[in-house]
Amino acid sequence: MTQSAPQEQYLAPVDLEQALAYLQQAAGEVTILAGGTDLMPQLQSGRLQPKHTLMNIRRIAGLKGVRLEGEVVRIGGLTTIAELMDDPLVRHHLPLLVEAGDHFASSQVRNAATLGGNICNASPAGDTLVPLLVLGATAELARLVDGKVSVRSLPLDEFFVGPGKTRRAPDELLLGVRIALPPEHFSARFFKFGTRPALDIATISIGIGGVLQDGVMSGVRVAFGAVAATPVRAPRTEAALEGKRLDETTIAAAALAARNEVNPIDDVRASAWYRKELIHNMTKRMLSHVAKA
Amino acid sequence: MSQKHEIDFTLNGIKNSARVGLGMSALTMLRDVIGLTGTKYGCGEGECGACTILVDGVSQNACLMFALDCQGRSLTTVEGLAAQPTGAALRAALVECGAVQCGFCTPGMVVQATHLLATRPDADEEAIQRAIEGNICRCTGYKKIVEAIASVSQTSTQE
Amino acid sequence: MTVSPKTIAPDTLIGKRIVKMDAPEKIEGKTRYIHDINLSGQLHAKILRSGRVHALIKSIDVSAARALPGVHAVITAFDVPDMRPIGVAKDHMPLKGERVRSERDEIAAVAAESVEIAEQALKLIKVVYQDLPVLADARDSQKSGAPAIHADKPDNVAMRFDYSHGDVAQGEAESDVVLEDTFELHYVTHCCMGVSGMIAEFDASGNLLMYSNTQVPFLHKREFADYLRMDPSRVRIIQPPIGGGFGSKLDIYPFEVICVYLARLTRRPVKLVFTREEEFLASPTRQPVLLTLRSGCKKDGTLTFRQVHTLHDNGAYTSWGATTPFVMMQTFSSLYRVPHCDYHTVAVYTNNPYAGSFRGYGNLQATFAIEQQMDMLAEAIGMDQFEFRMKNAQDAGEVTGQGMHFKSCGFKQCLSTAAEHSHFQRQLEQNRNNQKAPGSIKRGIGMASTLHVGGGAKIHPSDGCGTILKLDDFAQLTLITGASEIGQGSETVLAQLVCEELGLPISRVTVVNNDTAITPWDVGVHASRTTFIAGNSAIGAARKAKAKILAAAAAKLECDADELDMRGGYVIRAASGEALIDLPRLLRQLHFSDKAELVMTTFYYEPPSVHQDKGFKGDVSAAYTWATQVVEVEVDTDTGIVKMSRVTAAHDVGRVLNRLGIEGQIEGGVVMGQGYALTENLMVENGVMRNPNFRDYKLVTAPEIPEIDIHFIESMDGEGPQGAKGVGEAPAICIAAATANAIYNATGVRIHGLPFTPERVYRALHGQGEQPSWERT
Repeated sequence: MTQSAPQEQYLAPVDLEQALAYLQQAAGEVTILAGGTDLMPQLQSGRLQPKHTLMNIRRIAGLKGVRLEGEVVRIGGLTTIAELMDDPLVRHHLPLLVEAGDHFASSQVRNAATLGGNICNASPAGDTLVPLLVLGATAELARLVDGKVSVRSLPLDEFFVGPGKTRRAPDELLLGVRIALPPEHFSARFFKFGTRPALDIATISIGIGGVLQDGVMSGVRVAFGAVAATPVRAPRTEAALEGKRLDETTIAAAALAARNEVNPIDDVRASAWYRKELIHNMTKRMLSHVAKA
Repeated sequence: MSQKHEIDFTLNGIKNSARVGLGMSALTMLRDVIGLTGTKYGCGEGECGACTILVDGVSQNACLMFALDCQGRSLTTVEGLAAQPTGAALRAALVECGAVQCGFCTPGMVVQATHLLATRPDADEEAIQRAIEGNICRCTGYKKIVEAIASVSQTSTQE
Repeated sequence: MTVSPKTIAPDTLIGKRIVKMDAPEKIEGKTRYIHDINLSGQLHAKILRSGRVHALIKSIDVSAARALPGVHAVITAFDVPDMRPIGVAKDHMPLKGERVRSERDEIAAVAAESVEIAEQALKLIKVVYQDLPVLADARDSQKSGAPAIHADKPDNVAMRFDYSHGDVAQGEAESDVVLEDTFELHYVTHCCMGVSGMIAEFDASGNLLMYSNTQVPFLHKREFADYLRMDPSRVRIIQPPIGGGFGSKLDIYPFEVICVYLARLTRRPVKLVFTREEEFLASPTRQPVLLTLRSGCKKDGTLTFRQVHTLHDNGAYTSWGATTPFVMMQTFSSLYRVPHCDYHTVAVYTNNPYAGSFRGYGNLQATFAIEQQMDMLAEAIGMDQFEFRMKNAQDAGEVTGQGMHFKSCGFKQCLSTAAEHSHFQRQLEQNRNNQKAPGSIKRGIGMASTLHVGGGAKIHPSDGCGTILKLDDFAQLTLITGASEIGQGSETVLAQLVCEELGLPISRVTVVNNDTAITPWDVGVHASRTTFIAGNSAIGAARKAKAKILAAAAAKLECDADELDMRGGYVIRAASGEALIDLPRLLRQLHFSDKAELVMTTFYYEPPSVHQDKGFKGDVSAAYTWATQVVEVEVDTDTGIVKMSRVTAAHDVGRVLNRLGIEGQIEGGVVMGQGYALTENLMVENGVMRNPNFRDYKLVTAPEIPEIDIHFIESMDGEGPQGAKGVGEAPAICIAAATANAIYNATGVRIHGLPFTPERVYRALHGQGEQPSWERT
């Protein structure tokens, strides 16, 4: 019901070049609108100050959809979470994203929220971010250089800088992500702590992926959410698992490494001590499930 | 006073237009500009589902949408569902099952249930509970709402 | 013309599943709640809230706000010289001019052409504060040297309650086991889906019309009239359909008075509606309580005594929360047979939010303590918990130490029904044996019971309700009742009761219940009283109408009225069921005769309860109700998450009237109890509300609900309408207590504070928890 402070201009470009040209001229005075599910509450509450222009990018052609290009899955930034969960390529090759989507907010929010929006909003607890890190996703960022669209790639591990802060420059748009097809025998799990299946901001979340063959894990990738200023990889936990037989000793060591490696804060949702306990206990539980499967 | 923009869209099957402010939500547009009050304000931040509407056929929280983003789109509110078969079936079921008490959450539930039945006509009780996890009810404890939606869901699979 | 005689078989509406009369329009989005009502010429009001917890107000400058185009009025305390304090203890000024005592305090208010302009105007108001030390804990308010929050209460004590029956010293001396524990009950809030709002309008003759969702329209009318120094006959309240009540609308609140002031000043209708954040900040909460219970029993299982001390955090201003001891002492004195009981409450001012009335009204807090100690006492003497409860449960006819007369009482049946259907003893044993077994998920089962009033509560001078009944020429019935409908289905039940008396289908009834200019007096919707009292009132009016109709029919048919009855819309021969005259025809004949008469009757029902004496003793309700709830949980010991998997509820309701409606009340109450036990927590730190939103204040959502298995015990109350008693509050009351017992059964750990959030449970399981204490650490 409340309205944000008056902004001046509204744009809804249909063309990528148009949008990028405006971003370049406007020198950071643009608030980008995609699904709006984060933007609206942030503006209403005053957590975000509106800039001079509100640019709705939802109508830009070519930013939606999931495609397989060789050994790489490309997901357009405007793909909604609901679309992601229903997409046959994602369901077949990247089921971890479907699992993450299932814990995302509510059906209504999933129908509007975009993958690109979730990434650029860069909440340390963002539900798609931990799975994307486990899958080794790369962000594709576009800007105009000499009047032409130029794209650069950045591994998502390097994309997040702080809560709400990313390496996207003010004149760039996130086109989407690229994810290499996981190798054979790759399996991954996502856990989000909550008393509800979804509709909760994660108190902690955990993603674990790797190739499990003959009881040994390799190519291990572990990521944690809501325990740091950004979603993070967990190198010490990964090291405790890499190349090791997934038995009780390894699992215990990995859980311990996980607990020691994180430095969460106390906030209205949980205390730091409890977050560490959860990271430990749930890493252990997830690995036990993987071992039994 | 913030600037106003003119937008065109389809509302419950009828072409419509409205003058809306830049930061205005679709919910405020529906209730205050157009004057359709069936869609409710519950929280304004997408947590309670009282403002659920259909946008291009899928359910969304109207409080999270910018009114300007309605340009060229097709919106359906609870007022537009009564005449449709699913709407009529849901109405009968919700009445029969005793699923309405204060009724404030009910329009949002009806719209969300309509979306569910369109996408998963054979949804079982567990799927229904998940589907309405974004719709909060303080009166009924949800049980009769789920029963009502399930009875429509089963009916449609029998056809 | 020959008309073959028709017979109408007997039928009844009682116990049937009757659909709610207003459901169809609610489903279609056609119902106009207060937020949906717009009067032409209306202005929109917004309130400036201080945001400071405790401060002196040095200056308020509204000049810029007043100058904003579209603003009609800006008021502060200084603009309303006739302002007087409101609320239960009259310690609450609607607009604060000198001092802020809590975060939500109202400093100024704006009436403008639009909500947008009103909000902009708020931003232009400049207030200078001088912060004062904050009292954020009732224990601190009691220390010597603590600042006085209200100058006239230097010790910060808002209210005290002391009650006693028997002699607790003697009771303790007779005990073989004595336990003492401290429990801490937290802040939760109503979270009605429809936020608070009001529209106020003065007409050309200075009469006041309020569109209000108050649950006590007649009390409100009187209070507003007193407050504004108006003749009560010039105050009218219309109640639009409400988006939830649960007790939140039983007091007068600052926003209501402010809305009226703005209407008076601008001479326009003024509409004021809260945002959800404002709803959290400014609505009253449930009463938080720090409670020490000392109780004992003999080794044969007889309860001996209870001794209770509570500290009530009264917040900055006094509302109904401070009077929860009225209900709490009833539970302590009379839930199970207690020969000796001693109860003391001190309600102390702080700078925290204030508590109001909320479904259960202190009974949840009291039951949480009692039912945990019942389990603990049973364990201490080695007796089965169910048997221990059965031994101490009362029977019909007993009078408690507090003077409550249990005329109809289904307590023991509630206990045994709930125990039987949940396989209580078997599961209890199994779970206990499983506590130390490997596996992180532990199941638990726990039992608790509720005693609550079911026939009103005589706290006001009258606990009555009036009904006017009118039948038109087509046998269409208009039932005009003082009892408000707050979503619980009262209008449907009243229609059902009247149609049962008159043998008419429910489709023939229109209920009018929402305009003080039309409806007769009722004290209000609280204390689960509506079915019982408004029901008896409606039946009284219906019986008078029936007598009149049968007398007229008997005169026509030249027989005795007792040979006749009414059924299916006809006057019939009682013995055979033969239809004699159809009702519409009879009514028209009555109307268009020489001695013309319409069938219109009235009845005022005052329940045969009594006011308590100065010692709080007396049979305060015309009937009492019980429930036993058995809660089954799964505790994940790796996370502390408690999942409520099943609730078996046995409720003594006297008699089931509308089966559909009563199930809905119980299911809704159980889930509200689930929220109180597991998920809801209004976090107030240093007087600041940390989670005034649905993101971080967790209401139960659909996937979280337990299976609910409901059983009705029909104890057929002699005074209740068709034997029924009230049920609105009961289902929410003992869930938290049963859950505490279930967690103990699962894990061997008892937790004395709520809510059982994962972190609290985890800490308790791993020795990192803290039990509540009267000492401030």
